[in-house]
Order: sequence, then structure tokens, then C-alpha cells
Amino acid sequence: MFDKVLIANRGEIALRILRACREMGIKTVAVHSTADETAMHVRLADEAVCLGPPAAKDSYLNIAAILTAAQISGADAIHPGYGFLSENAEFARMVEEHGFVFIGPTHEHITLMGDKIAAKDAVMKAGIPVVPGSDGGVSTFEDAKTVAERIGYPVIIKATAGGGGRGMKMAPTADDLETAFRTARSEAGSVFGNPEVYIEKFLTTPRHIEIQVLADNHGNVVHLGERDCSLQRRHQKVLEEAPSPALNAEQRSKIGDIAAKAIQKIGYRSAGTIEFLFEDGEFYFIEMNTRLQVEHPITEMITRIDLVREMIRIAAGAPLGYDQKDITFLGHSIECRINAEDPETFMPCPGKIGLYHTPGGLGVRVDSGLYSGYTVPPYYDSMIAKLIVHGTNRNECLMRLRRALDEYVIDGLKTTIPLHAKLASNADIVNGDYDIHWLEKFMDDESN
Amino acid sequence: MSNKIDVDDELIRKLAGIMDETGLTEIELGSETYSVRVARGGTVVNAMAPTAVAPASVASASVPPVDIAQNITDHPGVVTSPMVGVAYTASEPGQPAFVNVGDTVSEGQVVLLIEAMKVFNQIKAPRGGTVKNIMIESGAPVEFGEPLMIIE
Repeated sequence: MFDKVLIANRGEIALRILRACREMGIKTVAVHSTADETAMHVRLADEAVCLGPPAAKDSYLNIAAILTAAQISGADAIHPGYGFLSENAEFARMVEEHGFVFIGPTHEHITLMGDKIAAKDAVMKAGIPVVPGSDGGVSTFEDAKTVAERIGYPVIIKATAGGGGRGMKMAPTADDLETAFRTARSEAGSVFGNPEVYIEKFLTTPRHIEIQVLADNHGNVVHLGERDCSLQRRHQKVLEEAPSPALNAEQRSKIGDIAAKAIQKIGYRSAGTIEFLFEDGEFYFIEMNTRLQVEHPITEMITRIDLVREMIRIAAGAPLGYDQKDITFLGHSIECRINAEDPETFMPCPGKIGLYHTPGGLGVRVDSGLYSGYTVPPYYDSMIAKLIVHGTNRNECLMRLRRALDEYVIDGLKTTIPLHAKLASNADIVNGDYDIHWLEKFMDDESN
Repeated sequence: MSNKIDVDDELIRKLAGIMDETGLTEIELGSETYSVRVARGGTVVNAMAPTAVAPASVASASVPPVDIAQNITDHPGVVTSPMVGVAYTASEPGQPAFVNVGDTVSEGQVVLLIEAMKVFNQIKAPRGGTVKNIMIESGAPVEFGEPLMIIE
């Protein structure tokens, strides 16, 4: 087992990793920017190294500084958290090259899953259902027409070099295809410098359902069930739940097995998440995330498995020690991402925390680096806390969530707690009746 | 069975002396195996999360009181490290140091090397003046912002 782990991240996830290390008797090194000198995980860590000024490029994305910090502190392994360098294949490769263990997958798998077309191809060959599409770039309108007729309207035309919701044009019917196709190509050319586009079936009211997998270095793979992350605003998840109210046990087991087998086939190791769009009982692969995810706690609550600890154990070479039949799901869990933002306009509101009081009681968990008197720096993303609740069933979980949100006090800055309170009592949410467009529609309705 | 606690009174005297010199009212420091807090009589102002002990800065051989380091960082003549690495006071082992305390230096003169990822970076004097203090030993790991020397 590692003697010392360097935590290459900040905020709540850095604290999460620190906690897992401490519970395993592993010494911790917190690397941080000058803006994070007073961060809770920096205060609790055994050692701390300041990497640079606040800007991410000078600190949390500063590969040379992080590797040097690992050298001077004598760390054995580096946990990259999520975001920042966690899916930077170059970083993963350099970490290993310099004699440290990267707590995550191999750099080859990071590269594979980072390329959207290659990833889709690889998982398709491994048996994972994908969105029907053109299987590559489409250069002429005639080809586009053929593809669209084969897969069925509506279709969406996407830029190969695009991403993050940009460079996509929808064609609801055959009459709309030509305009959509030509506009997509010319926009892709001017915005991304590459006019290549591909075509996929457009799913009108899908849910976002992802499967958590865990694989060791010895070929053992398990899936830890799904998370429903359909409630999103501008492609940012806001509230997640596990299990999904839209799946039954049979569907869960089926897609879980497909995912686990695919992971085993490609030889993946560590934690990973396969994201799907789910519509009309069918799953469609969108992408794979080769890192720990923000919403991992809801999976932990229903499976009672500490995902960070498992990542560390796996990276140290330990076998999983359990297989699929040992994974059981108990109860229901919901996570609210709490941001330092105006709950209506979503304007970021960093600042100094005054009175701070977290909710407690059975089945209530808060993952956050906040404390009374702490100043939330303005340089990083606005998520400041995650409230996670667990109940024996979904109704109990929702009641507990409402109660916990009511107790939570974060004075001194605006947070999205009021939004979560609204969602937790909204009829559609209570009925589990929502898709990936629901939240934006809700916000639109609210502002009118 | 004797439950005698070993008191490192030399350390306590040293800390008390530091408090006198600097006017601090409280010093707390610790490591894996011990933690010590000395406070001048009267009300002690408790900062935020009470039991968090200041983490040992990787860059120091002993564990310096955090408050003292803050004073040095605010010194107008301080030269702080622009990067994470290992600092060297001479170009090679066995060579004379670039500068010694008391030397006059000119702006741009190389005063230290900091090595990171096998690359040696020259640290140059940001201003001309006299070297008043050199805070690090050759071969010491340093972090961004760490006070290296005072030139004024």
C-alpha cells in the first residue's frame, strides 16, 4: 500500500481524497495555489506545497510543478480527482514515467475515451449500444440524405471537432436536412477550423443514465449500478439520484452487465463511468469518463463501497476481493450540487462564509471544504458543497432531502439551496418524471 | 506504572523567546508525533476550525511557526520562490555560493538556482542591494512563494 499520496486537486474532492487516505493510514500531500492556502484539506493534510498563483494554468494544471512537488515530498502516488488533469493522458503518462503511480486508468485508455469517434467505435466493438449514426464523417449532402433515411428523423448533425454542446444542428424532418447540413459544415469550418460533420439520431426526451464501473489490474470488473443525472442546466448536472426511477431491476442488471463486459474486454482498470442517453427503453452510449465523478457519493450510499478507497487499493495492485454477486443495492440516494451562485440568475457569488451549519441525522452526508470564516475564492468553479441523502426508499429519501435542505445554513453568500428546495418538492421530480430538458424548461417557466 | 511525560523544555523556552522577540501571543506547531502550543496569558483568539494543526511545510528542515513566516513574506526586500523545486546556493557542489550575507548584488545577478524536473532555473536578484538574510539551505525543497532571501 502507498505510504504517501499527493492530492492533485482542490475543493471538496481534495478533501474527499484526503479522508480516504487518512482512513487507510496513508500520509497526504496537498498541493495548492496561493488562493487555497486556507482550504480545509490543506489545513488537514500532513504536508502542503504551494504550486503557484491562483490561475489554474499556474497551479492545478501546472504539470511540472505538481510532479516536482511529488518528487520533493516523496509521494508514491498521485490522485488527480476530477476536472483539472484527471483526464489529461499526457499527465497520466508523465506521472508514471517519473516513477509515481497514477491513481486512475492507463494513459492509453484516457486517450482512447477522449477521442469521441474512437471511443464510440471501441465500445461498439465491445458490445455497447451506441446512438445510430453515420459511423464517421459525412462530406456530401447526398451521403447525409442516405444516412438520415437509414437512421430515421429527427437527426442531429455534429461537428467532429466540436463539443460541449456546440457545433450541433438539428434536422427534424427530411425537408430541414439540406439547410441544417450545409450550415453545420460551414459553421464547423469557421468556428472549429474543421468542416467535418457526422450525423446521429436525435433523441427528443432522453434521460441521462450512467453506469459506474470498477476494475482492478487482474481482470476483475464489477458495475455498481446506475445514476440518473438528467437534471442539467447547460450541460452541468444539478441534482443526481441512484437508482434511476426510470429503470427496473432487469434493465439495470442488463445494462450493467453489458457495461462491465465491455470494460473487461478493453482491459480498463480503476473507476470509470459509461454515460448513456436512455429513451423508450433503449440505451445509447454517449461517452465514457475515465475518472472519478462528482456524483460518485450516491453510488457509495446505496452500495456501501468507498470508491476513492477502491481506486487507491486498485492502483496499489490489490484485487477487488469481491465480484458482481457481492454487490447489493440498498435504498435510494440523492445528491444536490450546491453552488455559490444566485439561485435564479446563476451569477457566481464567491465571498466570505459567515454562519455555517450543516444538516445532520441518519442518512445525511455533506461533502464540502467549507467552514465558518472561510473565503470562497473567485478563481475556480462555483460548486462549494454536495448534500447527499440516503433513505430506505425514494419517498423517504425525498422527505429527508427536504428536511436536510431546510437545516443547511450557509451565510455570507448566495447559494443554490433555494433552487434545490424547490426541486425537492416539485411534482414532476417527486414522480420521477423528467428528462434532460426538464430543468431548463423549469428555469424558463420560473423566470416568466 | 510511571506515566511521566517528557517535556522538551528547550523547545518551549525557544518558542517563548520567539514570542518575546516578535510580539506574538500564541504559537502552535506540531508533527505526526507531537503538537505544542504556547500562549501568552489572557484571552486566546481561536481561529476557525479549532483542532487543525498547521501542516508541516515541505520546504523546511524544522517546523517554523506559521506566523513568523508571514512576517518574513511581507518584508519589502524579500525574494520569494517563483516555482516549486529544490534550491541550490552554488552552481555545483563544492563551488562557492553565488552570494553570501553581506554581499552587494546588482539587479539581474544570479543569486540561486532552483531545480525542477532536472532543469536548473536561474533565480536573479529583482533589485540591486545588500543581501541581508538567506533563509534556505542548499538542497532544500522550496514551494511557490517561499521566502528565499532578503535583498535591500
